Amino acid sequence: MSTSKSNVHAHKAEIFCKDESRVDWHSKALWTLREKRDRAAGSIPEWEQLRQIGSEMKLHTLTHLTEYLEEFEQNCIKNNIKVHWAKDGAEHNRIVHEILAKHHVKKVVKSKSMLTEECHMNPYLEERGIEVIDTDLGERIIQLAEMPPSHIVVPAIHMKKEEVGDLFHEKLGTNAGASDPLYLTRAARQHLREKFLSADAAMTGVNMAIADQGAVVVCTNEGNADMGANLPKLQLHSMGIDKVVPNLESAAVILRTLARNATGQPITTYSSFYRGPQDGGEMHVIIVDNGRTDMLKDKILAEALKCIRCGGCLNTCPVYRRSGGHSYNYTIPGPIGIAVGAQHDDTNSIAWACTLCGSCSYVCPTKVPLDKIIHHHRRLKAEAGKLPYGKSNYMPLVGKFMASETALNCSMGIARMALKILPGSLLKPFSGAWGKYRELPVAPNSSFEAWFKKNRG
Amino acid sequence: MSSKQHILNALKSAAMAPHAMPTIDVAPRIDDLVGQFEANLITVAGTLHREGGLVNLQTTVDEHIAQGMQVISMVEGISGNREVSATAHELRDIDYAVIPGDCGVAENGAIWVNTKNLGHRVTPFICENLLLVIEAKSIVANMHQATSLMTLAPGEFGTFIAGPSKTADIEQALVVGAHGACSLNVYLT
Ligand code: SF4
Repeated sequence: MSTSKSNVHAHKAEIFCKDESRVDWHSKALWTLREKRDRAAGSIPEWEQLRQIGSEMKLHTLTHLTEYLEEFEQNCIKNNIKVHWAKDGAEHNRIVHEILAKHHVKKVVKSKSMLTEECHMNPYLEERGIEVIDTDLGERIIQLAEMPPSHIVVPAIHMKKEEVGDLFHEKLGTNAGASDPLYLTRAARQHLREKFLSADAAMTGVNMAIADQGAVVVCTNEGNADMGANLPKLQLHSMGIDKVVPNLESAAVILRTLARNATGQPITTYSSFYRGPQDGGEMHVIIVDNGRTDMLKDKILAEALKCIRCGGCLNTCPVYRRSGGHSYNYTIPGPIGIAVGAQHDDTNSIAWACTLCGSCSYVCPTKVPLDKIIHHHRRLKAEAGKLPYGKSNYMPLVGKFMASETALNCSMGIARMALKILPGSLLKPFSGAWGKYRELPVAPNSSFEAWFKKNRG
Repeated sequence: MSSKQHILNALKSAAMAPHAMPTIDVAPRIDDLVGQFEANLITVAGTLHREGGLVNLQTTVDEHIAQGMQVISMVEGISGNREVSATAHELRDIDYAVIPGDCGVAENGAIWVNTKNLGHRVTPFICENLLLVIEAKSIVANMHQATSLMTLAPGEFGTFIAGPSKTADIEQALVVGAHGACSLNVYLT
């Protein structure tokens, strides 16, 4: 393993955890979203029914992907939409660039798309002389700050308003020291309006692609996708193969759960259905694999593709909330980020950025079994001989040790004795990273085995 | 081999057993649809005008015009002071757009707007303020009913609009008025 320590999840989280008050603030901001989600879910008596239908509908689509993708393509063509297929991120970027180059595009307004992030499209286009402007406010903030997103729904959740104020002062010329969100948002509105009105093309992600309609659905609160796509004559939409749903009926199910589970809103402000280009315009859809068919080859990993990217599992995750989105070595952080990103993680550490508490699986609107998938990733890593930071060295020993009754009883006895008679300062160094933020336990008087024999045996 | 063929071939080795499509049969809440709609519209920062219909709306529009505002109306019977322009970009200074909605959704306050009658697709987004008009009897209980009623012909564009545009990207503080309209008033007829 050539992994340098600085890239493993625990180390990156440690950097984030240096500022304790920021960790508390971050955790609380996300927990607020979780609470809003609980209220929204609780206000719909059929919530559990919707989760069940959502899960089964996605399973159905994923197990009939060939039919639905072909149906979607045929209907798109009937609607005068041009469809492209890309095996991976590189091909996706190439296709996008070809379309833009053909139209002599210099400036593209983009609405949030985790897929284009996954493909690292922005730098690719910028190297080729095309300016890409992220138009979702959170995305624009981190684009100006030259950072990757730290959350899939609220990408700048890690930044404080004072930091945004300083950034806008430097980049957009707002007043020095201003940190009022209303003032800053208005400044961004002015700045981005000018970009919308002067762009040559627009790009969006896709929340759902409806097979029997040949239409794509894009959901935003800000209206940036619609301001973008409906001004210039050229619009491009990038989607993973997992975004297709059979029909309007199934799209309705997702529209009912997506925003409720993301931010607690009953629905996003705009849920837009594009079933063809505007008059005299051109509409392109790029269907991307980029590793998704590989995931489908593994029954357990495949279920991660039921995800509708609501971000609910991030908001509830005790590890994500306290380690920040930039610690995951992948564009998508949190439980779903581990589920879809662990196989690309050459530090082999993110599969362990999880307590297996299961809270994520419990809140997921399409019942992605996140804890089961993460556990499975650990097994895959172990089988491939890729356990992180020395786990591969000591875990087999731990196994042997735990299997031997004599060795275990004897050493546990010594440990209880040591905890009683030796000072903590002497013992703490032996507890390693575990003891860093924890107190040593109070030693019980006897082993559990002895206690059990005496009281229950 | 084309990339399409490559992807479709790769799908042949997918591991999950075929799963049947579930029946989507969710009981609608049909009590007081207008009341539910209004309550949800408020939660998404919109305002409902139940009484007065188009007459009330025209009075409001006239007041805006008297104050020097630019108003475009796509609703029959309501007159503004701006016509549909040759290009979408010329709508950049519209203060108020009056637009017909096809149906309202009680469970979330959203209104289905098919843009086929708007001249430019961008009208409901580029205006500073949005005035939507719907018939009270067009309000349905939930999204399942809404998607069965909404129309979206090949080539068309339509959108569910729930309130004015908004964002909470700066420290989770809700700010109404991101890139789209800064306010939404809904008039019932
Ligand atoms: S895995 Fe579930 S909870 Fe997490 S983002 Fe996806 S849909 Fe939402």
